[in-house]
Amino acid sequence: MQDQVAMEGVPNPVSAETRVQPLVELTNISKAFGHVQALQGVNFCIFPGEVVGLVGDNGAGKSTLIKIICGAYRPDSGTITVDGQPVTFNSPRDAMALGIATVYQNLALVDQRNVADNVFLGREVERRLVLDKRRMLEEAAQVLRELRSDIPSVQVPVGLLSGGQRQAVAIARAIHQVAARLIIMDEPVAALGIEETRKVLRLIARLRDQGRAVIVISHNLEHVFSVADRIVVLRRGRLVGIRRKDQTTAAEIVRLIVGAEHL
Amino acid sequence: MQQDQPSCFDDSGVDEVLDELDGQTEEAWAGSVPRGGGGFLNAVGAALRRLLLLREISVLAATILLFVGLSLATPLFPDPENLLLVARQISILAIIAIGMTFLFIAREIDLSVGSTYGFLAVILGFLIAKWEVDPWVAVAITIILGACIGLSNGLITTLFGIPSFIVTLGMLSILRGAALLLSGGWPMLIRLAPDHSFLTVTAGRAFGIVPRQVFWMAELMIIAAFVLASTRFGAHVYATGGNEEAATLAGIPTKRVKVICFVITGALCGIAATLLMGQVRSGFPTTGTGFELDIIAAVVIGGTPLFGGAGSILGTLLGAAILGMITNGLVLLGASEHFEPVAKGAIIVGAIVVDTFIRRRRQ
Repeated sequence: MQDQVAMEGVPNPVSAETRVQPLVELTNISKAFGHVQALQGVNFCIFPGEVVGLVGDNGAGKSTLIKIICGAYRPDSGTITVDGQPVTFNSPRDAMALGIATVYQNLALVDQRNVADNVFLGREVERRLVLDKRRMLEEAAQVLRELRSDIPSVQVPVGLLSGGQRQAVAIARAIHQVAARLIIMDEPVAALGIEETRKVLRLIARLRDQGRAVIVISHNLEHVFSVADRIVVLRRGRLVGIRRKDQTTAAEIVRLIVGAEHL
Repeated sequence: MQQDQPSCFDDSGVDEVLDELDGQTEEAWAGSVPRGGGGFLNAVGAALRRLLLLREISVLAATILLFVGLSLATPLFPDPENLLLVARQISILAIIAIGMTFLFIAREIDLSVGSTYGFLAVILGFLIAKWEVDPWVAVAITIILGACIGLSNGLITTLFGIPSFIVTLGMLSILRGAALLLSGGWPMLIRLAPDHSFLTVTAGRAFGIVPRQVFWMAELMIIAAFVLASTRFGAHVYATGGNEEAATLAGIPTKRVKVICFVITGALCGIAATLLMGQVRSGFPTTGTGFELDIIAAVVIGGTPLFGGAGSILGTLLGAAILGMITNGLVLLGASEHFEPVAKGAIIVGAIVVDTFIRRRRQ
């Protein structure tokens, strides 16, 4: 039953003949915390240039799943492959080395420092032991330009930016530092206004257009539908559905989330 | 596979809006491309930058105001010799305040600096006078010992997660007691030939004009300002104090950064003790009692916030200069010496009020 659901949902974004290799593939992943089975036999995959919306009720296992993908947790069982190669992540650093970056919910920015400093946080560029500020400013501006961000200057302290602009800085860091191929975003628009939300959703679409994969966790189905290509539903640690956005409805997703068909 | 049937949430409308928005953004980009390096900031960027600089500018304005005021009050004040005296009087304070600035930016504090300075002065005197160690070897031992005191402050703070306020308060007491025990309460007098290199390097005047203490203060401040503004370590100090969690997530070894700041402070106390020894040729066990408050005052008046993530060496220099000018000015004006702490305290509170006001306005 579980396998069927998984198979049914595996997409083929290019064509039926040439099966594209998933960027990241998780097979039969289980993870327990004490007596709580957070994840049980979950299969998940994501392809380059694809946005996957990860939805589910509180405690469904969304956070556990992304923490396994980004290397923060190790699964009890199951395999992870990146580019078809089996991998073991001992820390987020290992995942980052393979181009998997997480944009944290609190954004992890230093408010007092400027945009460029934040984009290069922890990976400052040096030339003969001196910070190459010029290069950092130029490269940060370049990345933000590619993201079509409306940040007026990379010399502005991040604390003075709007929520959407801060999101752009956090994403720019993930792209630039990690050369991220997969970007995981946990509730990226939860704290944003309507206009800012649109900008961030647009940003996610742009990341996809650049050929990157994006996993978006959101409680807001409207946002998920507006940006995701595929929607993955978890319930009580199990994978209960994978749907292409254009082949499902919000009502169906809600049913999957709450498990109404079992009632 | 195409979007033939509209989904429940028809997002085409959203996309249109987004496209439109995108167009606007592109226009905005065409008009005001953010530039790096020495490029041209647009008006917004420049205005924000000016606001950011306001902190240092207000400190500079206060320094100039005080200077002009005192010059008008007494013609003795702007005399070059008097100004060099003020510079010499603040130099030891400013040298230790460099370390305190690093700590404040990293959101830590060291209350033991006054005791460390006094303890190291006794140690240096002890080594030269009692053990007859070569003065330069004694200086090296003193500075290394200072660094070790900073190391232990830093390790206890970071490894056990105890607030540095408490750890260094304990160290303050320990070292003051140790200085008194070691010296038996008596000053450690040293006798050196007047032309000994130790004395010509730590006392007298550089180029026949600048007091040696001022010369060393300037050297150290230039180095420290460079380290903070233009090195990776400096960037890590700011990031650690600004948002420790973010810095850790970004792979910055925040605990190591903090420990290094404590070590720098301890080593600077050793350098300060060395300069004092050159000047007075004796180490008093009570040296530096209450000095930590003057040092913290200089840092705070200089605009380095108590909450980390910002601040500068230039600000600390100006803060020390303000303190020095007040002390000197009150003497020249013939005010009671007991008035000095009152004036200093008022300035500290005033500086914090101004700082808070600026912070509010920025938000």
